[in-house]
Amino acid sequence: MMNRKIFLFAGIAVALMIAAMAPFIASSNPDGLESAFLGIFGAKEIQGPTPDQEHSEAAEQEVTVITGNDFSFASPFPDYTIEGLAKYGEAASIIIGTLLVLAIALGLGRMVSRGE
Amino acid sequence: MHIPDAFIPLPQAALYWVIALLFIALSLRWARKELTEDRIPLVAVLAAGIFAIQAINIPIPWGTSGHMMGAALAAIVLGSPFAAVFILTLVLIVQGVLFGDGGLTVMGANILNMGVIGGFVGFYSYRGVYPLLRNIYPAAFIAGWLSLFITALVVAVEMAIAGTFPLELGLISMGLYHGVIGIIEGGITAAAVYLIHTARPDIISEPGRVAS
Repeated sequence: MMNRKIFLFAGIAVALMIAAMAPFIASSNPDGLESAFLGIFGAKEIQGPTPDQEHSEAAEQEVTVITGNDFSFASPFPDYTIEGLAKYGEAASIIIGTLLVLAIALGLGRMVSRGE
Repeated sequence: MHIPDAFIPLPQAALYWVIALLFIALSLRWARKELTEDRIPLVAVLAAGIFAIQAINIPIPWGTSGHMMGAALAAIVLGSPFAAVFILTLVLIVQGVLFGDGGLTVMGANILNMGVIGGFVGFYSYRGVYPLLRNIYPAAFIAGWLSLFITALVVAVEMAIAGTFPLELGLISMGLYHGVIGIIEGGITAAAVYLIHTARPDIISEPGRVAS
């Protein structure tokens, strides 16, 4: 059985490796929900290839009108990008996110279990 | 499967937040009871790994892609659906606030879908099929597939209530795409359970009987 510390460090190493690789291997196709949305709003055939840009933007405006939810928020690293850093910026931002999730989970876990 | 803000009207988004907050509170109660000092690092590493793997969109046919959700994995490894709620809530907050991945007004809906529904379907289908298969790996695959597929159908229903998708077409297209993406979810869930179980056989307990 693997030693506890080694097991945890191996886990962190795997997570960081996945994070660093992600932007280089991930597909930029729309995800399932987005694809369904684009299909339903006529920017893409349900079983067709990638959508076209112009129709996609029109679809996004159309759905905002339907729901009336026009809330928007400028996140610090929109879509995992860091301005001017291309793919390496994406890798950096996903690594930062991974470490942040790790740190918050450790902190929150300690806080909650100590509260007993 | 991260819903953006524009897909759900604000009053409905608020209702999903209320339901999500209830489950978040229950997941914190789970954490207080079950998170012993030596299990905290495992939870944290799982959360970090799930965040990272969610960034890898794998291409599927029809100009589409999909990524792992991780709720079934969290629930199986930590032995509770509330573990999935705890971990996915954390992951979704960081994704939404820092990276604009998934809306903020609709974050309650995303937590309800991927954390609560994904976690509960994953956990109980794992417990349900294990006695039939007597092997944790195919049980983990099926739990992963079902957790993603059922969650996708629930999202289609939410979209219909929101007026965003017509119900039938929403169910068909969400079901079609996520039936395939579920293979990714199931495969990675089974592979991760295998790796964890091989390295540390003490972590994942084999469910002896169906949950009472």
